Amino acid sequence: MVLKIRLARFGKRNAPFYNIVVAQARTARNSKPLEVLGTYDPVPKPPPSGEGKAIKDIKLDTSRAKYWLGVGAQPSDPAWRLLSMIGLLEPKYRGQRVEEEEGR
Amino acid sequence: MFRWLNGPGAAFRDPLPGSTNYLNAYDPQGNLIRARAAPKSTDRDDPKSTGEEGGLDRPDAGLGRSQLDQNIASGKPMPRETADDLMPFPMNRQFRSQPVLSEELRDEIYRRIDQEKKSVRTVSAELGVEMQRVGAVFRLKTIENQWAQEGKPLATPYARAVNAMLPKTPFISGSRTAPLPHESINDLPVHSATARQLFHPVAESLHFNRASAAKAFSRDLLPADKRIPHPELVELAKVAAQNRGRDDVVKARRNELEKQEAALLNMRREQKAAQEAAAKKIDTPRWQFRFEEIKAESAGKDGRSKGGVGARYGIPPQDRKKGQIKIPTKVE
Repeated sequence: MVLKIRLARFGKRNAPFYNIVVAQARTARNSKPLEVLGTYDPVPKPPPSGEGKAIKDIKLDTSRAKYWLGVGAQPSDPAWRLLSMIGLLEPKYRGQRVEEEEGR
Repeated sequence: MFRWLNGPGAAFRDPLPGSTNYLNAYDPQGNLIRARAAPKSTDRDDPKSTGEEGGLDRPDAGLGRSQLDQNIASGKPMPRETADDLMPFPMNRQFRSQPVLSEELRDEIYRRIDQEKKSVRTVSAELGVEMQRVGAVFRLKTIENQWAQEGKPLATPYARAVNAMLPKTPFISGSRTAPLPHESINDLPVHSATARQLFHPVAESLHFNRASAAKAFSRDLLPADKRIPHPELVELAKVAAQNRGRDDVVKARRNELEKQEAALLNMRREQKAAQEAAAKKIDTPRWQFRFEEIKAESAGKDGRSKGGVGARYGIPPQDRKKGQIKIPTKVE
């Protein structure tokens, strides 16, 4: 069966919080995964200095993510977006690519 | 009713400024009793001035309202309320109104923590206010300032009215002497381990002290001397018995505490900075994403360990459970 790297939504109503997990593709979203690679908090936090962009926190075990990608795990779209930010994958989405090119 | 309202009751219609105004503080003629014992003004026994207010007047009565107003206007200090004056309910002689923190004292607590960066413990010892109360004052003042910034209306008239009715612990700024203590600050907190009655036979030759008593109650219970909020005050009493410099001891102990707390704060700050530096920051047009490196193995073999990251599987959240306290219990 296909392995997926995907987000599992935990947290309360109106307060989303995601586990980044490796799981069998056909299992339920919040079922017990093979491994929890990290978390994603999509609620932006105000920057500590009071200036600049709001912050979104992500915790990730990069080496395990690399391993699972290496053995063929397929990231979902949101997971792809996150993993491509730290260069584990090619950026797939337009907004990101534009940003990258501007940076160069 | 109107006779009372226009006679003795008039004192309650226009309460004395800067004083509680309980029924017990006045005699049946509506004169303030404690003003009688105070140094008297020369025209005190003038029957006309008290007669306007009090109606019936006796030569040994307390001061009437008009005279009190004169005294206040001429800058004479009002005598402090006696314990008898602080009974709001005349039939309940056991109930004495306890003083609350005055607005100035609360401002001072907030200033010392916020601007002088003193610890809660130090401020508590300096001003004679319990640590919990100092923490609460700081939290509430912070919220008050926040509300003021947001433009939320504050119930200031209400606070002023309530404050006017209660005895207060004043704060006299710039005084060289120690400020008036608000309450006993060095009470031993009751630990649940000590709540039971314990029969603990010991050998007669054994030197059984407080540390051993604590051990007898529970293996990891600290002795009473270490559980009190301000151990330096005990130290002080010991030194006072030996007649050494009292201030030196307090200063030394407080300096030591300040240093400890400063070191702790510094360590936390450095930890935070190191964490911040280790995180990978990626800017998108709207957000900054921060990637923190973690170890997936920290969740343990079965993924249920507390050290793991993220929501754990098969472990329900405890926040809706009965008896969970959600009010913050400490100030960081």
